[in-house]
Amino acid sequence: MTDLTAEFWAAASRRELVRPVCRDCGRNFFTPQVACPRCLSENWCYRPSSGRGRVYSATVVHKAATPGVAVPFRLGIVDLDEGWSMLARLVGGPDERLPALDAPVRVAWLDEGGRVLPAFTEVVA
Amino acid sequence: MNLADVAVVGVGVTPQAKRSDRGSLQVALDAAKLALADAGLRHTDVDGIAARWPGPGGTMLAPGSADWSTLLGVPLGWIGDSYPQGVPALVDAAGAILTGQATTVLITGGQAGVLGGGRVAAYTRPGNEFVEPYGAFTAAHFALVAQRHLARFPHAREGMAEIAATIRNVGAANPEAVMHGRGPYTAADVLAAPPVVAPFTLLDLCLASEGGAALVVTTLERARDLPHHPVVLLGAGMEWLRQQYVDPARYEQVWTIGAAAAAKAFGQAGLGPSDVDVAELYDVNSLEVARQFEALGFCGAGEGTDFARAVGIGPEGKLPTCTDGGLLSFSHIGWGAPTLKLAQAVRRLRAGADVALAAGAGSGAQYYNLALLGRAR
Repeated sequence: MTDLTAEFWAAASRRELVRPVCRDCGRNFFTPQVACPRCLSENWCYRPSSGRGRVYSATVVHKAATPGVAVPFRLGIVDLDEGWSMLARLVGGPDERLPALDAPVRVAWLDEGGRVLPAFTEVVA
Repeated sequence: MNLADVAVVGVGVTPQAKRSDRGSLQVALDAAKLALADAGLRHTDVDGIAARWPGPGGTMLAPGSADWSTLLGVPLGWIGDSYPQGVPALVDAAGAILTGQATTVLITGGQAGVLGGGRVAAYTRPGNEFVEPYGAFTAAHFALVAQRHLARFPHAREGMAEIAATIRNVGAANPEAVMHGRGPYTAADVLAAPPVVAPFTLLDLCLASEGGAALVVTTLERARDLPHHPVVLLGAGMEWLRQQYVDPARYEQVWTIGAAAAAKAFGQAGLGPSDVDVAELYDVNSLEVARQFEALGFCGAGEGTDFARAVGIGPEGKLPTCTDGGLLSFSHIGWGAPTLKLAQAVRRLRAGADVALAAGAGSGAQYYNLALLGRAR
């Protein structure tokens, strides 16, 4: 955690998903950066996200790169409705299947050793 | 002087192994000595060095960092903290030579004594707060790219397995490869191997091994007096899209990474893909080989695996690829691995090939670089 990201994790601990939005050009971006990657303005702030989006890509990890990580687990890139994206675990959902590309998802929360992490669950229409 | 007045005159590859009992600095020095001996030069002939790790010239102030001018016992006219090794280091060396900063540059690096105990190299899983908690690692980033490609071109899965088997079988027959004697494999073996991260099985993915690799670079004029037939730099190109392994790679942005670099390199060389005799592509996984054929202009989108099958990428094929067994079977030594690609390209050119391509990194890494090397006329 850094000065740039403390607010993201503080919101996550309340199970609220937030993302950086540029006050000058309106760009949504992630991960948090010193300046907006479109207009280079440092005048940005965190705003709440709906937590809804679609799966951009998804995979199943069968063998972890570090000891102590339980496998298998599902990992994905989610495109949020506000126009930003993030890497996250995919959890729950119908039959705990790997969501298809473009499947709708909503944010869920994982409590891992006291740290609350955003994750995403497939939504059945 | 022009680009093609820069020559690679020495290659040094230490014994490669799954785990080494030496340290990274030791294998970098071992490789340097081998490359200098191969070049017919002494360490006192070196006046420039590109060795990202351990830091050259004492630029890394941490305890244990290597001061290469002290180590070699010679003052240096130029040092380059090249990131990573391989093509970027060769381009740095060429720049130093062409601007008169150095006449003989040593490129060396590798890793040893850093793997084992369930660990993978640290650069493959950055301690970033938006990556590490999710358990992401290098192969997973590449897998997230591959999943979208296979959704478009499902037939590529079989071709990926054929590519992995072909390259691994080259390594199985190479006594210097880490996986010497492991194989031969069929495409069915690759598909049936233990899954690591979808769509990749263990046999689709490269090694993580230990060893060193080095090159000696100088002017063509000087190279004419040295033992081996000179190999010259015909062209090079680099692309840097985004910091690797933090923000995830997006398929539509990264699938063709290398296209601009290839256009630049082929333009400098006055050549096209059909002129390449040997392709030392960066085979971090089986699909990346097919991807590079597409991105670099050897074939069209979605045709990479079909191209590999049609042209023949094995020893008897029209376009031998990863001819030492590649990262899949020969060795992958972290930042030093791209130098292995150049070393193998040089060997093939000395053996009679006219044009060789050597490359580094790929789609999931979000950067790419390549060089075209040629047998001097």
